[in-house]
Amino acid sequence: MNYLQPERLDRLAREYALGTLHGGARRRFERVLRQSAAAGLAVGVWQERLATLAGSVPAMQPSEAVWRGLEQRLFAPAAAAKPASSAWAWLGALLSGRTLGGALAGVFLCVLLLRSQPGLIGAEPQTDGLPASYVGLLTDAAGKPTVLASSRRQGNVLTVKMLQPVAVPAGQVAQLWALPKDGGAPFPVAVVPAQGSARVALAATSEKLFFNVPRLAVSLEARPAVAGDKPTGEFVLTGNCVKLW
Amino acid sequence: MATTNDDLARWLARVALRDRAAFEQVYRATCTHLLGVAFRILNQRERAEEVLQESFMNVWHNAAGFNAAVATPMTWLINIVRNKAIDALRSGKTERGSTVALDDEAMAVAADEAQQPQRLLEQSFTRLKIDACMADLSAAQRQALALAYYRGMVHTEIAESIGAPLGTVKAWVRRGLDRLKGCLEAAGVQAT
Repeated sequence: MNYLQPERLDRLAREYALGTLHGGARRRFERVLRQSAAAGLAVGVWQERLATLAGSVPAMQPSEAVWRGLEQRLFAPAAAAKPASSAWAWLGALLSGRTLGGALAGVFLCVLLLRSQPGLIGAEPQTDGLPASYVGLLTDAAGKPTVLASSRRQGNVLTVKMLQPVAVPAGQVAQLWALPKDGGAPFPVAVVPAQGSARVALAATSEKLFFNVPRLAVSLEARPAVAGDKPTGEFVLTGNCVKLW
Repeated sequence: MATTNDDLARWLARVALRDRAAFEQVYRATCTHLLGVAFRILNQRERAEEVLQESFMNVWHNAAGFNAAVATPMTWLINIVRNKAIDALRSGKTERGSTVALDDEAMAVAADEAQQPQRLLEQSFTRLKIDACMADLSAAQRQALALAYYRGMVHTEIAESIGAPLGTVKAWVRRGLDRLKGCLEAAGVQAT
């Protein structure tokens, strides 16, 4: 379909700006928007028109927790380290100091992985940035990056890439666990392969599963864990789980 | 509000340079209005506040993407909030009706849900001094446009909500937008 045919573009632009364009059509048009200045301008004109309607909406005072949360999410980690010097620094600051180098390498590998699979890219309106995702990087006992796990924030597929092979004894599986904040009980996420890559269906959207999860870990288990199971063995791999947005 | 679009544009340019004080100025100057926009769509304060926070995360990281030559700052901010609120509304649709209790404010909105978006639309027309020009839109055409803009509804939801055929609703919305375009141009209105 030629999205840029003027009449069609105007129809899509107005429906996008208004919000009535939805589902797959909305996502497809967002991809067009990222690539086409003409589409961006067409939408911009309608957004300006429609914004005149927002003036009559009654104002509401947000609770102070919204601002405190912003400060916490944006500035607290950076304040403990050095002032943020790049867009990545805030992300780096979230990762533990000891594995920072490896972790950043992992994040950039993740960038490459996502770039090489354009199907994973989408959804974030009007930016060229990566889609909102959860990214985990697990290291072995020696601190070597071993598992890169990533999932779109509202997606329910986990992409796992083994950065080095893991020795999984016969009759066992490498089970990935999510470790919730504040010492909550670990819950099983997926079984990871010994090497290579895998795409694994999740039980719910990443947002539901990982919103409160700062750490991930892998243990060796006799069978794939099901909901309610607890790890029986030592964690052989651990790492941080961060929000990529 | 004493803050002008020029102030906002200047502050956003500073935010792009990682100026936290400017970021707070943008937040303080716009958060009440933007929360109102998100709340109309989501109908729940907690979710609207989440959307507001996510939106300002976006503002901090993407302020460099704001181009005053393309959009006014307020329009740029409203777009971020509306898009996030609409995404949140549609991603949470299934759980919303059954598991999320409406808070008091949402109940108050629900009470006159049918009229309120239309009232907001009419107040806008008055404020923009285009009410005479918009007068030949029927009540149903206004309601369709108002439900789409203020409540983030899609055509099928509007059709269900006001009990009209889908094709008719699409035509109403299209006609409402055409008329809005014509009246704004005739009145020489600039976006706020």
